[in-house]
Amino acid sequence: MSFWDKQPYITFVPFVMLFKLAWRNIFRNKRRSIITVSSIIFAVIFAVFMRSLQYGAYGNMLKNIVSSYLGYIQVHKQGFWTEKTLDNSFSPEDITYLLDHENVSYLSYRIEGFALASKDDNSKPVALLGLDVQQEKNRLGLDKKVVQGEYFTNRKTGILVGIGLRDIMSLRLGDSIIFLSQGYQGSMASGSYPIIGFIDLKTPELNKRTVIMDLAQAQELFAMPNMVTTAVLGLKNDNWEETQQEVIARVDTNQLEVLNWNEMLPELQQLIAVDKAGGLFVLFILYSIITFSLFGTVLMLTEERSFEYGVLIAVGMAKNKVIIVAILETILMAITGIIAGLAFAFPVVLYFNIYPINLSGQMQEVVEKYGFEALIPTSLDPSIALSHAGIIFFIVLVVNMYTIVKIKRLEPIKAMRR
Amino acid sequence: MIKVTHVTKTYDDGKVRVEALRGINVEIKNGEFTAIVGPSGSGKTTLLNIIGGLDTPTEGNVIIGETNIAHLSENQLIDFRLNHIGFVFQSYNLIPVLTAKENVEFLMLLQNKSEAERDERTTKLLKAVGLEDQINKKPNEMSGGQQQRVAVARALASKPDFILADEPTANLDSASTANLLDIMYRLNQEENMTFVFSTHDQRVIDRAKRVITIEDGKILSDEIR
Repeated sequence: MSFWDKQPYITFVPFVMLFKLAWRNIFRNKRRSIITVSSIIFAVIFAVFMRSLQYGAYGNMLKNIVSSYLGYIQVHKQGFWTEKTLDNSFSPEDITYLLDHENVSYLSYRIEGFALASKDDNSKPVALLGLDVQQEKNRLGLDKKVVQGEYFTNRKTGILVGIGLRDIMSLRLGDSIIFLSQGYQGSMASGSYPIIGFIDLKTPELNKRTVIMDLAQAQELFAMPNMVTTAVLGLKNDNWEETQQEVIARVDTNQLEVLNWNEMLPELQQLIAVDKAGGLFVLFILYSIITFSLFGTVLMLTEERSFEYGVLIAVGMAKNKVIIVAILETILMAITGIIAGLAFAFPVVLYFNIYPINLSGQMQEVVEKYGFEALIPTSLDPSIALSHAGIIFFIVLVVNMYTIVKIKRLEPIKAMRR
Repeated sequence: MIKVTHVTKTYDDGKVRVEALRGINVEIKNGEFTAIVGPSGSGKTTLLNIIGGLDTPTEGNVIIGETNIAHLSENQLIDFRLNHIGFVFQSYNLIPVLTAKENVEFLMLLQNKSEAERDERTTKLLKAVGLEDQINKKPNEMSGGQQQRVAVARALASKPDFILADEPTANLDSASTANLLDIMYRLNQEENMTFVFSTHDQRVIDRAKRVITIEDGKILSDEIR
């Protein structure tokens, strides 16, 4: 009987023994292990917090857009978005069938016009918005944004004025403002409307130029009965990309345009793209440092332990099992660092989600210029933490390639030669 | 039985060519207590490494039992060493993070032996080398002599066909050397375990039942006592 008939089995080492070896090895050089784990903890905290802040800012922007005014999807007369004249308007009856779409919960109609507002010696160009005041009250919570006076609770006459415009034109409740503008198809539009309340739209830029009136009143002012410039599609869920495509397929695109928030605010998309790229660059530098730090550890570990690996292989331990012990050591350190990093990062991220960072100075101006709140809450999306934990784990696996190659090529005699 | 026939070993790095072994022929029977002696660079360690499957001959065959280990692949050699050869190294080479008991048990774990068998054999072997009261000590908590005795117990744990010991007493004082030799001699006598040493320690040579002297890669003499 040959040796191979006598010993046909492949030796199996209980994993617990390999784990025990790797775990105890970590404590052989405590200082190095602490430095390695600390660098991973730092990387996780920094990466998760930075990315949470970025994605939180984007999420807040989107929330601003969707909940405040723009909505996910709008329908206009073809060409309105590039040439915002009242002549590019359409009848709501042209699109009522869109309510049959499974993801469309309502259609909110608007007139978005411009006018010169005058009070005594003051005059100011303003954005005049004609809204379905009852529907928009529920959707946008406009009534809660009234800081002085009242919303259109029992009336549809009068106007709400942004608090910025109030301050510029020194307006008071009950004052009347005279609007002068060009109406539908070149008609003259003019009228005097009493102020029933002042509204804080949370962004200074909007507050300085916004006047809100009921849709019917705006239609009368601009001489465009039963016509609107804009229809905002209320969605049941956030799947706006697919909904937009389906709506486009249903409408006559020669007559109407269907735009999503991205298309209506391309600058925002560019801003996000540039910001994301900047963030990625910082993360790239961070992960490069972590990679070299981990590689340094792996390099030292492997070189230091070569003698031992040689002994283990000499006495009969298969190279694959030696590799498992060697890799397990760095993996255990990485897992410890990742878990500790996430544990430290979570309360920080949670804190800044509850108490968002208030921007000030130039940053505040830039953000508010786009009509957003100068607040940056962190995102609690768990995929951010998981993805960065995954990246660091992947880096650990990659740097361990050195160990694998080194052990695979290791000759016990040479390794045991001191 | 170990049968070495026409074994040569040449190291050639492209610049320098060294013939470490030049046509070695030797047979070592079961139960022998053999010392391979010779000055530094004579080739005794190379021969021991080739017999132990740690190195491969340039030419010739090494047959252990019925297996010609010169023809085994790297992985087959590792498995062969685990199951057939026990090693005792000059500097003990115990696993520093494991206790004496765990070091002895280690090879049996690699062999997938049951816990009961491992416990029984570990206890027996540590008792045989006089370390039954040191089982939970790690190598750095033991003297050189104690570590080498653990190394002997480890070498025996896998129930090898023979034990190769490369200068096992080189780092030991006189008392530890005598103690270690007594243990190995007793194991040879009582359990018929085959021991092959490479050494230039006269104390080991004096206890050997067979002394093979090597010089310049050739066997100079083969004395059976």
